[in-house]
Amino acid sequence: MEKPDMPERDNDNAVAVEKLTFRYGKLSVIDDLSLEIPAGTSFGLLGPNGSGKTTLIRLLVGLLKPAAGNIRCLGRTPTSANARQRGYMPQLHSLYTELTVRQNIDFFARIYGLRDREQRQSRVDEVIKLVDLWDRRKTQIMHLSGGMKQRVSLGCAIVHNPPLLFLDEPTVGLDPDVRVSFWDYFESLTQGGSTIIISSHTMDDASHCQKLIFLRQGKIIALGTPEELRSAPGKANATLEDAFLHFIRRSEEGQNAE
Amino acid sequence: MLSNAFSIASRIINQLIRDRRTIMLIIIAPLLIASIVGVSTPDKRMLDYTAPAILAMLILFFGFILTGISFQRERSQGTLERLMAAPVSRLDIVSGYLMGFLLFALAQTLIIFFYMVYVLDINFQGELWQIIIFQAIIGIGAVCLGTFTSTFARNEFQIMQFVPIVILPQFFLCGLLWPVSELPEYLQWIAKFLPLTYGVDGIRAMMLEGENLLGVIKEVGILAAFAAGFVVLASLTLRRGTSG
Repeated sequence: MEKPDMPERDNDNAVAVEKLTFRYGKLSVIDDLSLEIPAGTSFGLLGPNGSGKTTLIRLLVGLLKPAAGNIRCLGRTPTSANARQRGYMPQLHSLYTELTVRQNIDFFARIYGLRDREQRQSRVDEVIKLVDLWDRRKTQIMHLSGGMKQRVSLGCAIVHNPPLLFLDEPTVGLDPDVRVSFWDYFESLTQGGSTIIISSHTMDDASHCQKLIFLRQGKIIALGTPEELRSAPGKANATLEDAFLHFIRRSEEGQNAE
Repeated sequence: MLSNAFSIASRIINQLIRDRRTIMLIIIAPLLIASIVGVSTPDKRMLDYTAPAILAMLILFFGFILTGISFQRERSQGTLERLMAAPVSRLDIVSGYLMGFLLFALAQTLIIFFYMVYVLDINFQGELWQIIIFQAIIGIGAVCLGTFTSTFARNEFQIMQFVPIVILPQFFLCGLLWPVSELPEYLQWIAKFLPLTYGVDGIRAMMLEGENLLGVIKEVGILAAFAAGFVVLASLTLRRGTSG
């Protein structure tokens, strides 16, 4: 008999991925990837365009089905039935451009199960203030700048207070001051016990994460804290960019040796 | 159980209300078509015969176009992907779309109906509420056909490219312009597989001969079967073609 899909903790891991493979046609985009993400951390997925970051996030939120392997998010296989546990901010703004800031966030609040009208309205107001768009709450999305849309998109992802948050390149196009305020907020979330998984290709984002993986061609080429990864090239004042290049060279050497 | 579908429907209604150009298209374009038909039809009896068919045709056309374009936009803008990552089922999404767009399609039916009866003075025998139900069945099929077709379109322009394939053959073969019985035999055979053929037959019988829904039960049954088929196709293909 099949085991029921009951929530359980995987040794305090918010996410556990085992031998995950995903292919688009014959192209292997995620290749036999295993990973554990401890609860309450900010975890960065770093890699160049096409390295598999977005595909990995889409697998983790249940949008794609793996060709092989297992995924457990908060102890469960991700499905729409347990989607309330997760928040997802896609790479595109993914907003209803004819609707206002408030209507967009309110819609996702309803969809994620905030049924009580008063509670929902108060939470939506709180989120609008949090993303610093109170003055623009009645403005249609089509009249907002790219950075503002990004803030609304974050608001839609966090409105139901998910314990597990997936953010696909959340800081792209943001002004430096807004980026800082995003990171302040992410840190407050992890301090409150939430887990945040962020994909990015900027090393500035990477330095804010508690733990990182470097992805290349669907494989993890390095995993560790920013400090551990920076120390890997063995030179003083090495940046994460140096570390990334170091690990790329090492993985290429490994491939050539094979 | 349907609360997510209601949330989606109310969001669609909000979106359309705020999109004034689309609202104008929904109201003005069919009135313009009805007026052209009214003015250009040479005699009153022919107008009585054509007008009900126009009513059936317009709900199919606008239901298809509006839903096809809207759904394609949901796919290309990533909002469908975001919705699919949320705790909603495919049925929630399809039924939410159905409720939202059907409301506009039926409002449009009412406007054209009153315009035809009171301005163009066409003959009308049946009961309005029964005609609305009949139109709703055509509308459900049209909305789900639009949703399903959007799966194969990469952009809004490509939805328009489906009009000559999916909609225009139905106009010519459904009996709107000339009776199906006067078509070559192989075209009559094709017409049997097109929903608009039954839509036109049914609505003509209701408006011209005063039949009620039971009197056109064959047409109602076949249109309902088409609608159910398109609902299933739309639900099954929902995941295909999301962005990224």
